[in-house]
Amino acid sequence: MSFSALIANETKLQVYEMKQYWFETVSSLVMMCAVFAGLFYGVKSFTTPGDGATSLDGLVFGFLLWIFALSAYSSITKSLVEDNQKGFLEQLFLCPNGFTQLMLARSLVEMMWSVVFVTLIAYITMFVTNNWIDLNFFYFYLLMFISSLSLVGLGFIVSGLALNFKKVGTIAALFNIAFMGLVAIDALPLNIFSLLPFTAGASLSRDILLQNEPLNMFHLAIVVTNSVVYLVVGIFVFKHLVKRAKRLNLLGQY
Amino acid sequence: MLSVNQLSKSYGDQQALQDVSFELAAGERVALLGANGSGKTTTINSICRLLEWQQGNILFEQQDITKSTDYMRHIGAVLGGCRNVNWRLTASQNAEYFARLHGTSKKQAFKTITRLEEQLGLAQYAKKEVGKLSTGNKQKAALLSALAHQPKLLLLDEPTLGLDIQTVDELQKIIIEQSNELNQAFLITSHDMAFIEKICTRVIVLNKGKVIYSGDIKALKEQLYHFEMRLKLTPPDNTQIEGHLKELWPNHSHLSSEDEQIIVHYDSPEQAFATINWLAQQAIVPLDLTINPLSVETAYQTLLDQEVNA
Repeated sequence: MSFSALIANETKLQVYEMKQYWFETVSSLVMMCAVFAGLFYGVKSFTTPGDGATSLDGLVFGFLLWIFALSAYSSITKSLVEDNQKGFLEQLFLCPNGFTQLMLARSLVEMMWSVVFVTLIAYITMFVTNNWIDLNFFYFYLLMFISSLSLVGLGFIVSGLALNFKKVGTIAALFNIAFMGLVAIDALPLNIFSLLPFTAGASLSRDILLQNEPLNMFHLAIVVTNSVVYLVVGIFVFKHLVKRAKRLNLLGQY
Repeated sequence: MLSVNQLSKSYGDQQALQDVSFELAAGERVALLGANGSGKTTTINSICRLLEWQQGNILFEQQDITKSTDYMRHIGAVLGGCRNVNWRLTASQNAEYFARLHGTSKKQAFKTITRLEEQLGLAQYAKKEVGKLSTGNKQKAALLSALAHQPKLLLLDEPTLGLDIQTVDELQKIIIEQSNELNQAFLITSHDMAFIEKICTRVIVLNKGKVIYSGDIKALKEQLYHFEMRLKLTPPDNTQIEGHLKELWPNHSHLSSEDEQIIVHYDSPEQAFATINWLAQQAIVPLDLTINPLSVETAYQTLLDQEVNA
């Protein structure tokens, strides 16, 4: 089966699930908007009229980055933990393309859905808060896709741990919070924080989209390298952990 | 088609499989029998490449399954219990997803799923998510997903677990039809001997990770005992009879004791006469004496017990 067919199959699976559980789909969207509105008015009450607009733009933007980062990271971990609990994870290991390729396809599909959801949330939250930021969504998503690959790599590592140790809820929760920091850290120009996943991508997109700075090719190279390294290392570690799980017969023992 | 050669797997000191070897031809229906912990599921999981073994190899159509990229397209499995499908989807949505995952075209998948859904009696539940179906229908949904890409080899781990008699009958019918018409091979693990007897032509019996029998199911039955005598005597008589019983059973028989009862498994009805006669001669009145024909299941268990005692 070609990789594109794998993506099409995963997309269809998600459509089936979203349709079947439409209430869950809608309520999670409403929930996200509600959380954001709460955050927005919280920050607004602390800002002075002078720095208000900049802070609020940063908040809207940061929130969108966070949602995207979270969905990229959890695309694999959530799926793996849920499928494990639902009990058909072993069947996914029977996929002729291999489990890793299947998970990659799944995370790409998750990211595509994130594009749809983030755009929706962006417009809903900007409308609700009446804080319109001039966002070039094409650049935003392009940069997000490139930089999120590092989080997919991170997701692979945590998923590999989940296969072996089953309960990784604490790490997952920790990452959810850590991502708030990752999207806020200034990782450009090159500094120690550029080594963290996603940080360089978040900084570059802030520079280009919020500060209207021109694209710096060196900075882009940092983002691409960061993503490629995390993804490759993530897949390598994941495959090693899958091998361990198979050796110790841990697959599906939930 | 499938050749398992001297497969060995251990977890630390515990040997899960020891030199397990057997073959499976296209269209054949073979049962993998054994008590809990005998290595049945480990064997199935190895064939599915869900675990790694230490020694031996598994060949599918002459190719090592660990090196074949095409292998996974040709196998389907219903693994332990009925947790094989996504419970949030309907049976046909699941089947479509898994069929496409195995590279079946949309058109072919639709055709096969429609036919199988009718055969399995799942068409009437077309709009129900698997999570809302009964245990039997969940198992059917798992079978539908495993069969949807028309694999050459089907591995079924305890497919009758929790199913009622009617559903087991339906399952039997489908397995026989599939293997006869499409030449699909089935490797089935089950505790349900009656089910196995009806559909399998050959059995492989595992005990503590070793193959203790491999062959025709009729030949296996011939090795099994057919009757069971249970004797309960007062303590002095109990000791007295034990020595004599060994002499009294000249042929195929097996002695054991459980709950202060002496249990004798044997082949033919007339073998009991000698014991009854001996009891009469010794003027021993048993507290209890029962003679019953053995079910295939119990008889098969005695084969395992013998192996343990040996």
